[in-house]
Amino acid sequence: MSEAENLVVGANGVAVPHFEHSGEGYRSYEVHQRERVGQSTEKINGAQLASADYAANPYPYLQILRENYPCYRDWINNCYWVTGYDDVTSIFTDEANFETRPKLWYYGLQGFGRDLRNEMPVLWAWSKAMDGFAVPVAEQLIAGFGKGEADLARDFAVQYPIVLLGRMLEIPDDELGTFAVRYWRAQRGVLWYPQAQLAGRQALDELVRYFTPKLAAASDQETSVLAAVAAVGGSAADLVTTLLEADHQTLHGALANLWMNLLIEPVNFDHVKQDHMAMKIAYLETLRHSPPVITAERFARHEVERFGRLIPEGGLMRISALAANRDPRIFADGDRFDVDRRDICHREARGQYRADGLPQGIAFGLGRPSRHPAVPEDRPRSLYALTRDTAVAASWTLAQMLPDLRLRDGTTPVARCLRIGETYACWELPVRF
Amino acid sequence: MDALRDFTAELDTDIHSDDPGGDRDFPLMPVGQAVDMGQAPDGTPLLDPRVLHSREFFRNPYPYYRIMRDHYPCFHDKLHNTYYVTRYEDVWRCYFDDEGFNTIPKGSSSGVLGNTQLELSGVEHRRRRNLYGQHLVGRSLDLRVPSIQRLARQMIDDWDDMLDSGYVFDDGRKRIVELGMAFANEFPVRVVCEVLGFPNEARKQFFYWYNSMMSGLGGSALQKQGLEARQSLEDYVQEIVEERRRKPSYLKDEDGNVIGKDIITKLCETRVDGDYLSTEEITSNIALVVAAGGETTRGAIVNMWYLLLQHPEQFAAVCADTENWNRAFHETLRNSSPIGGQPRHNSHDLEMHGVHVPAGSLMQMVDFSANHDDRVFKDPEKFDIFRPDLYSGKLLRSGYSKEGRCSHMAFGVGPHLCPGAWISHQEAVEGSRILQQRLKNVRIVEDRMAKDIDGKSLAPIGIVRVPALWLEFDRP
Repeated sequence: MSEAENLVVGANGVAVPHFEHSGEGYRSYEVHQRERVGQSTEKINGAQLASADYAANPYPYLQILRENYPCYRDWINNCYWVTGYDDVTSIFTDEANFETRPKLWYYGLQGFGRDLRNEMPVLWAWSKAMDGFAVPVAEQLIAGFGKGEADLARDFAVQYPIVLLGRMLEIPDDELGTFAVRYWRAQRGVLWYPQAQLAGRQALDELVRYFTPKLAAASDQETSVLAAVAAVGGSAADLVTTLLEADHQTLHGALANLWMNLLIEPVNFDHVKQDHMAMKIAYLETLRHSPPVITAERFARHEVERFGRLIPEGGLMRISALAANRDPRIFADGDRFDVDRRDICHREARGQYRADGLPQGIAFGLGRPSRHPAVPEDRPRSLYALTRDTAVAASWTLAQMLPDLRLRDGTTPVARCLRIGETYACWELPVRF
Repeated sequence: MDALRDFTAELDTDIHSDDPGGDRDFPLMPVGQAVDMGQAPDGTPLLDPRVLHSREFFRNPYPYYRIMRDHYPCFHDKLHNTYYVTRYEDVWRCYFDDEGFNTIPKGSSSGVLGNTQLELSGVEHRRRRNLYGQHLVGRSLDLRVPSIQRLARQMIDDWDDMLDSGYVFDDGRKRIVELGMAFANEFPVRVVCEVLGFPNEARKQFFYWYNSMMSGLGGSALQKQGLEARQSLEDYVQEIVEERRRKPSYLKDEDGNVIGKDIITKLCETRVDGDYLSTEEITSNIALVVAAGGETTRGAIVNMWYLLLQHPEQFAAVCADTENWNRAFHETLRNSSPIGGQPRHNSHDLEMHGVHVPAGSLMQMVDFSANHDDRVFKDPEKFDIFRPDLYSGKLLRSGYSKEGRCSHMAFGVGPHLCPGAWISHQEAVEGSRILQQRLKNVRIVEDRMAKDIDGKSLAPIGIVRVPALWLEFDRP
């Protein structure tokens, strides 16, 4: 920033700032073209994309974008929306031009801690712990259901990832509730809501204080996540950062939406409870049909031309999985939840979003498909595969323990976001068994 | 699971919340008072970014800007992906730092208006800006004042023929006019037409183009109409430009003497870096002149009369000494500017007031807030044309900040200071002087005016235009 003292008076008597500069940072407007009549975007406006109606049911708005404006310039929310399947996946795999900003950035807390998800000992311990607790935690929660009825969203989908994490992090049951509240607040504080930001910031500090003595006293068991964190020199702040970046809401949303989709049409549930592989396919179809994270944010690393537009450096791309996953150019009858869907790949794609010549449903929260082999020898399965296997194991356990599950009469469950930008999930799923 | 009782209880609160996080109806507050959006433990008020597009904010913005200035001088609005810079000193410094805070177009106007000098920086900007700006200042401007006065008189004379229009009424003793529709909306567009050298017949069409383009800004539902108007303007201007390239056109004074070539002719003859300006470039900048020269001056005239007539002693002072119109103009722009601010984008990563701003972020320089910064202007919400802390002298691109007096920020400051500032000043002041001579015993017709939430007092201006200003005066 210039100081007032830097001002000099030019030849025409006008004061101008004086800078030593190389000329970088200048752009001629000639490359930024105005919109033409045929490019009008009057079918939607940015305010609708930040409305209560959008939070309740974003799909109609996203459909307008996808079918009319492949790269919609949203002046209200200062971003570009990308909604077609091929466009979305092209950005998601283009790390040269588009960057992800860590959740700590949204808090303005650069340097708070480091993300340990690239530390191999932590990944190994994480995967072993997750595999080991996946079924017992599901059994425990199901055993705690009320007599003959439960709310699968609240009593199972929401709680399962938290209890699983609690077991993995050796948190005693009497401290689990406090941990859950803090963890939930820390994740919500990333977004724009001021009270949530405040509560989230406080929760981060509380989590660090909570884990500090636990890390110091971590056992040396190979499967202990805490021990692995300590072994790589990680601090409590590093662990909290890792938990924040990993979040639990994707697994929660995937479970909630899977069971919502299965129970809305009982024939689907009847099909998957007979066949473990069908349960896995139902999970993949859920990520396609109702992904828990409907948009992800990417920022242009530098000026780049995409989709006929010049995206300026720093430009925010809102790329929508929900819109892309129902793109009729890719998935036939995309609005239908179809556990027998044939135009989706049934194994984890490698590096890109396709395998066996078929597209994959996009689920941002689970990350880009791993570049590593499906069964790597020198590293654990990808977090994508780990989360998928856990969700399928938990759901399979539920289906086997309660094979006569059905929706409570008169209920029509829906998925929605509690606030704009938050997890798209079914929050109320009352069932009888 | 019992251990998670607290967690599920908190979830239930959110699931059944009355505030789902979308557009929220913020209550309309008494002017100057903000909605309580909660507080941090240390008492810092919280700011919900949704308020920034609420009805409450548009009518009563200043208490929210005060929260920003006092507690979040660089406010990161994550909902709208924008950083707001709200203190006078910061806005001033950013405006001067043409390289650090560039003008790469992310503003909502460029889609409709096209590429204009608003989006240029540095040398490129200075070269082009001077091409247009030189016609709107100094002697060029002085030569235009008589025609500005003539246009104002003509418009007021036309009121006799507008008795069926719905905007002018006459009961034989008193006359009632809606100042916007009868004068201020179209007056600046007529001046622009005159300055650009367009024929009189084009005025009505110009007014339509202007209204449509303004409505179409920001990707609104009217965007298509805006783009069509922009295309129509381009088609029209293209013919004129081609004609001027072949045959220059001249401006004449009131006596018919040639005083110089008109702006388009001069633009056609101008070379930048060895090239003639393209028709597209000329058209875009004409679109900008049409758009920028209309609403802003309209707002300045209507706001000035609205505020002055609510402060009769100050209105009496300008009637007693018409030089005071200059003070009234500047204080109006400080108190209730028609333009809220300018977008900038930081060219490099920076930290402002402890907030890290990555390169390329949209940073909104809020002129509204800078003009109400009580670090600079004492009791800023008060309208006082004689306030000692406001510089009301000749407009300077360098701004003015000496001995406790500062210039307002309504035209910006520095390299991008509004090139139409001087002509806008002349239009508003000369137009108002003539109105003042013709409107004897003028007063606001309160029965016809929009009211504030108490149903009695006049609606505040806020950051929206005064929709209509009904005036009553003695029939001429």
